[in-house]
Amino acid sequence: MVPPSELRKALDWHQMESVSLGTPHRRVIRAVLYFLVLVEIARILLPTTALAQTHGEEHVKVELISEQEAIVPHQHLQLGIRFDLEEGWHTYWVNPGDSGEPPRIEWTLPTGFQANSIEWPHPTRLSTPPFVDYGYEHQVLLPVLIRTPSGLAEGLTEKMIAHVRYLICREVCIPGQKELVLKLPVKDHGSASSNAPLFESTRRRLPLPIPKGWNISATPDGKEFRLRLRIGKVIAPPEFFPLEPEQIENAAPQNVSATPGGLDLHLRKSNHLLKPISRMKGLIVVAGTAYMVDVPVLQSSGRD
Amino acid sequence: MKTNLLYSLAVATVFAGLCYGQKVGEPAPDFKATDSNGQMHELSEYRGKYVVLEWHNNGCPYTRKHYESGNMQHLQKAWTSRGVIWFTVISSAPGQQGYVTAQQENEYLKRMNAIPTAALLDPQGTVGRLYAAKTTPHMFIINPDGVLIYDGAIDSRATTDQSDVATATNYVSQALEEAMAGKPVTTPTSRPYGCSVKYAR
Repeated sequence: MVPPSELRKALDWHQMESVSLGTPHRRVIRAVLYFLVLVEIARILLPTTALAQTHGEEHVKVELISEQEAIVPHQHLQLGIRFDLEEGWHTYWVNPGDSGEPPRIEWTLPTGFQANSIEWPHPTRLSTPPFVDYGYEHQVLLPVLIRTPSGLAEGLTEKMIAHVRYLICREVCIPGQKELVLKLPVKDHGSASSNAPLFESTRRRLPLPIPKGWNISATPDGKEFRLRLRIGKVIAPPEFFPLEPEQIENAAPQNVSATPGGLDLHLRKSNHLLKPISRMKGLIVVAGTAYMVDVPVLQSSGRD
Repeated sequence: MKTNLLYSLAVATVFAGLCYGQKVGEPAPDFKATDSNGQMHELSEYRGKYVVLEWHNNGCPYTRKHYESGNMQHLQKAWTSRGVIWFTVISSAPGQQGYVTAQQENEYLKRMNAIPTAALLDPQGTVGRLYAAKTTPHMFIINPDGVLIYDGAIDSRATTDQSDVATATNYVSQALEEAMAGKPVTTPTSRPYGCSVKYAR
């Protein structure tokens, strides 16, 4: 909050600075300055709750975008929510890890349109010792496929609304919510929108099924789970991201040991795990590519 | 001998770095902490009573959800009136969100009509790390025998929306009701949800 006297001083100072400029420039500068003063006064006069609500927008831009410029009858529509985060801020994966909350979308769609669930790109480990969260920094697109009804008439414009709730955090966390609206025409053929490359690069971050010939198994072993990966040669240690919360300690290092024909990933059991688990679900990320893991947990070791 | 000592030191260092806290069903670790009125509390003094630990950060939107809706105050009142000891624990380090002086905390408690048994000031994060408190809120319940019987979220709706309080299952009340009735606790652990505890870096 800047007291009005300070504002006047600031204005005077700017006017002094502009003395050497010609009159038309001065008029423009003065207009701009008065506008800035008005914005500042509005900021001071607005109730603090209004300021708190807009605070999230200062650190993230959230948009509803489409891969195609039109809705094509008998084709699915690929939409997505794009987060552009300010440096240092992050938002969360479907399992957010030790803290935080994943974004949620409620759709309001034209009759007959149906939204699939979010296809989550693989996250990164966000470490703030002693914690590890799973999420996204800088930019992320959360793709959602929309199924369209038959009998869409060309020439119509359809309106889609995504009500998005999200949490962004740096040292502190700010919840936000937005009502995002996108209107698209119905056409017999669609052309790629300017956002198509982002959809394409995001697809490369979506988890793939386990390739044929790979073999993955999970075994409890005392205080840890051993995820045995027979996945051929790897150049970098794989990372595991659990889909179920409270199965493993997120912040524990994932140590790797070599086994005949593969490697073991040692995952520290969560302290909150009081009963044996039957399945382990998650992603393993190997050299930047994510694969879906959903394996039974063998009860063989007898030690736990 | 020397090798043994070095080995012990190495092990101690590893364990100091990786603190996973106590497990439900095991004795809750004892601690000493000073409250916002300068009084010292030791967990073992309260043997024979149920003790609730509530991790707190007054700037965190999840904490605010439960205070601005009056939910936390309601729980504090309901359970302390039934003989439960309720400690609000503040582990935010100086300079971090949620850090308060004793006076600031007393003003806050008064302003919010909060009535825990005491608000424990833990700016070094000693108690927080001992229990591996992860989020605000993060709730723990210790039974009269000194055994940890609950470790997790305050309730089942991991959001910042006040309107979710009414429809959520409150795990703390559920565990206390069940334990006091001599029943096993249905949900003894859950994923605590909220902002990360702002420990000293």
